[in-house]
Amino acid sequence: MKIIIVGAGEVGFHIAQKLSEENQEVFLIEKDAEKIKRITEELDVQAILGSGTSPVMLKTAGIKDADMLVAATDSDEVNLIACLLARHLNHYILKVARVRNPEYMKETDLFSGDLLAVDQIINPASVMVETILNLISVPGAADVINFVGGRVKLIGIVVKPGSPAAGRQLLSFRDMEGKILVGAIVRGDQVFIPHGEDTIQANDLVYLVARTDEIPLGKDVFGYQEKEIRRVMIVGAGMTGSALAAALDQTKLHVKIIDKDPQRCAILADTLERVIVINGDGTDRNLLQEENIADTDFMVSITGDEESNVIISLLGKGLGARKCITRINKLSYIPLVSAIGIDTVVSSRLSAIRAILQYIRKGKVISVAPLKGEHAEAIEAEALETSDVVNLPLAEVKFPKGAIVGAVVRGEEIIIPRGDTVILPKDRLIIFALQNVVPKLEKLLTVKLDFF
Amino acid sequence: MHASRILRFMGTLIFFLGTSMILPLMVALWYREAGTRSIVYSILIACAAGVVLYFAAKRDEEKSLSHRDGVAIVTFGWVAAGLVSALPFMLSGAIPHFTDAYFESMSGFTTTGASILANIEAVPRSLLMWRSLIQWLGGMGIIVLSIAILPFLGVGGMQLYKAEVPSPVVDKLKPRISDTAKVLWKVYILLTLMEIFLLIAGGMPLYDAVCHAFCTMPTGGFSTKNASLAHFNSPYFDTVVIVFMLLASVNFSLHYKFIKSNTGIFHRDPECRFFLVLVAFFILAVTINLYLTIYPSIGKAFRYAAFQVVSIISTTGFATADFDRWPGFSQIVLVLCMFLGGMAGSTAGGIKTMRIILLGKQAYLEIFRIIHPHAVTSLKLGGKPVPQEVMSGIWGFTLLYLSIFVVSALIISALGLDAMSAFTAVAACVFNVGPGLGAVGPAQNFLAVPFLGKWVLIFCMLVGRLEIYTVLVLMMPEFWRK
Repeated sequence: MKIIIVGAGEVGFHIAQKLSEENQEVFLIEKDAEKIKRITEELDVQAILGSGTSPVMLKTAGIKDADMLVAATDSDEVNLIACLLARHLNHYILKVARVRNPEYMKETDLFSGDLLAVDQIINPASVMVETILNLISVPGAADVINFVGGRVKLIGIVVKPGSPAAGRQLLSFRDMEGKILVGAIVRGDQVFIPHGEDTIQANDLVYLVARTDEIPLGKDVFGYQEKEIRRVMIVGAGMTGSALAAALDQTKLHVKIIDKDPQRCAILADTLERVIVINGDGTDRNLLQEENIADTDFMVSITGDEESNVIISLLGKGLGARKCITRINKLSYIPLVSAIGIDTVVSSRLSAIRAILQYIRKGKVISVAPLKGEHAEAIEAEALETSDVVNLPLAEVKFPKGAIVGAVVRGEEIIIPRGDTVILPKDRLIIFALQNVVPKLEKLLTVKLDFF
Repeated sequence: MHASRILRFMGTLIFFLGTSMILPLMVALWYREAGTRSIVYSILIACAAGVVLYFAAKRDEEKSLSHRDGVAIVTFGWVAAGLVSALPFMLSGAIPHFTDAYFESMSGFTTTGASILANIEAVPRSLLMWRSLIQWLGGMGIIVLSIAILPFLGVGGMQLYKAEVPSPVVDKLKPRISDTAKVLWKVYILLTLMEIFLLIAGGMPLYDAVCHAFCTMPTGGFSTKNASLAHFNSPYFDTVVIVFMLLASVNFSLHYKFIKSNTGIFHRDPECRFFLVLVAFFILAVTINLYLTIYPSIGKAFRYAAFQVVSIISTTGFATADFDRWPGFSQIVLVLCMFLGGMAGSTAGGIKTMRIILLGKQAYLEIFRIIHPHAVTSLKLGGKPVPQEVMSGIWGFTLLYLSIFVVSALIISALGLDAMSAFTAVAACVFNVGPGLGAVGPAQNFLAVPFLGKWVLIFCMLVGRLEIYTVLVLMMPEFWRK
């Protein structure tokens, strides 16, 4: 596949990195010479110095025979113009655009119509809001990813020392067979796809697959779903904070949102019905105490300044908030913060990368969600009739080492598989796989089709 | 201030009122009454005075009306309208004294429904028809009617409209104010016709049906019978009148939107919802109280409680029972209803539900701000923020309303009325209800109130109908400075 990426900011860079690792043909257009230099040194992609809104540059990148354009700069306008030009130069190219301004998102016909014909809009803020709402829906989980329209959930749980699950062999969870499946374990920096003989250890991050309605079954063993979440405090009323507050305004939760800017607060207060809007500094200890941080179940630090977010979360934790979500943009910070005791990190760039990658893999593979640390992925794919996985008991399918089927969706039915489960054509599979086996896996799922 | 324009407008208004006396004239001719001639004289005097005023005033080239002009036109227009419509009462000799005649006609125009007539049934039918008609005209507003039918008012219409419509916020239904006025009047006429039809369908004579419908829709409360609606003693009529009193105390823009979209819009409007819940609650409370005290059957208690609560909270003032003899609790609920009134933008009087809701929310926010000193709050009604000017307008309005109430009650009691009568007489007039309790109860009338007291009450009625600011602003010296 030939893919052109416009903009080598963090989003563009990481997508280029991912795709080149998967042996795709990637062209990256960037107008900053410094960045071009860094890319040519670090990545195996073709870097082009120039503007993504220049037809000449797009032609240089070979837009005529490219399969896909990913417009991932920080500017919505540049991204949309790039898509417009791409459509003009190559009518059949797939277009993915990163769009942040919610006002554009409201004009639904703008993108789908003949004017822009963007195939997929990626809005990091709304993806992030969705991520946070997911986390709130399963209290105690460090990561929640929806599959099949939310009917299957993938939840990441940190196993606490002293939890009943710690020290147990996977084989011993007999009563959960067919209901909850351990798909991946993150231990330190390592990610592995577990077997029956593997043992869960304290401080492991365990990824479980379950039907949404059966999630409560595992709560005692794995220690999630502690207490129901009732009080949420959001610090920062930027685009994401406001969108999150608006979404939570529809729920029964008690929500407070804090922001420094009085004008922004006034606008929010006019639009929100139940959420309490507070004007003040989120790093102000007294203010947090006055607003009863000690009884807060969920604190979301989501200001534009990532260093402040870290400080606010640490402060909130120290003052008694049960759980903190921290927004961090620089991907290089992410491994650092978990070391200093921050539970969960969201990142608009990570969200954008996830969303764009999900789309790029679309087709045979339906959606992809990178797991923590990016070394493993959960892949949603359709079992084609011609592939080697169908009509055999799972135990006999030659899955690459480091891949496991987490769930099988057959029409309305959802099956958490066992060794004797047989996959039928048209089933949708949720597969956990280490990154290095993804190409092999893709081949397995599609193998015979490639001959056409 | 453009004195000539104000005079011309008043000339038009007086001429128009003169022509509207044709309806009672027709009634007089139909029933071959002796007083026919006095009505003809009234028509001639009113029309002549109107024409003289109109042509005596110099023609003014300037088109637009200032805010001051609007306020002056509305207040003087109402005072003059009261004078003109008192003519038939005086000329026919039915109400010989000017004060009494003016009281009766202002009580009509302001849709109060307080009467000085002891024996209503002795008064000629043509005059009773006139009494009902002026209530009907005053209900939706004579000025709003003028805006609707007089095209030359198009430009300054908004000023007049704001000065007359009883609502803290002006709801423009159409881009042009004259179209908005037309729409409101159409809805009003439609509802009146429906009520007339339903009353006739239940067996009420045409004449009584028209009179009562003319007094229900403006929430006025004049009746053609001494015993008010109790005369007919019919559950059917009670029900019809209850329904239309409720409809009249709902914001007329809601009726319009309902007719337009034909979807259940009432329960989605926060003010309407609150109003209906409040009414239901009061009915329940009074029913229980009456059942436990004076009525042996729950059905009877409910029938009278429902009618009286709706009649008073809509500030209509019809009576099916002499609530002067009811137990104290029910009476206090009814007095409370007088204060509350119907929804903003309806024909009802009182403080109005919208103001009550907003004041309540404001009070809640004050307490809330003590708990969260840094909270940024916004007062919202139905999800929409309420501007600060509107809120301060409501505070001022409520305070002035209550001060006028207190001062008037002091004067009336100083004139010799007992506490209960003085208190409720003023409440009944300021809130445009009609009957009070005690000496001015539903079985009594206002004839015995001393001369000065009647003028105080007339002032109260006008202030109540025009929602204070329009009248009080004329009393400010600044208003008259060039």
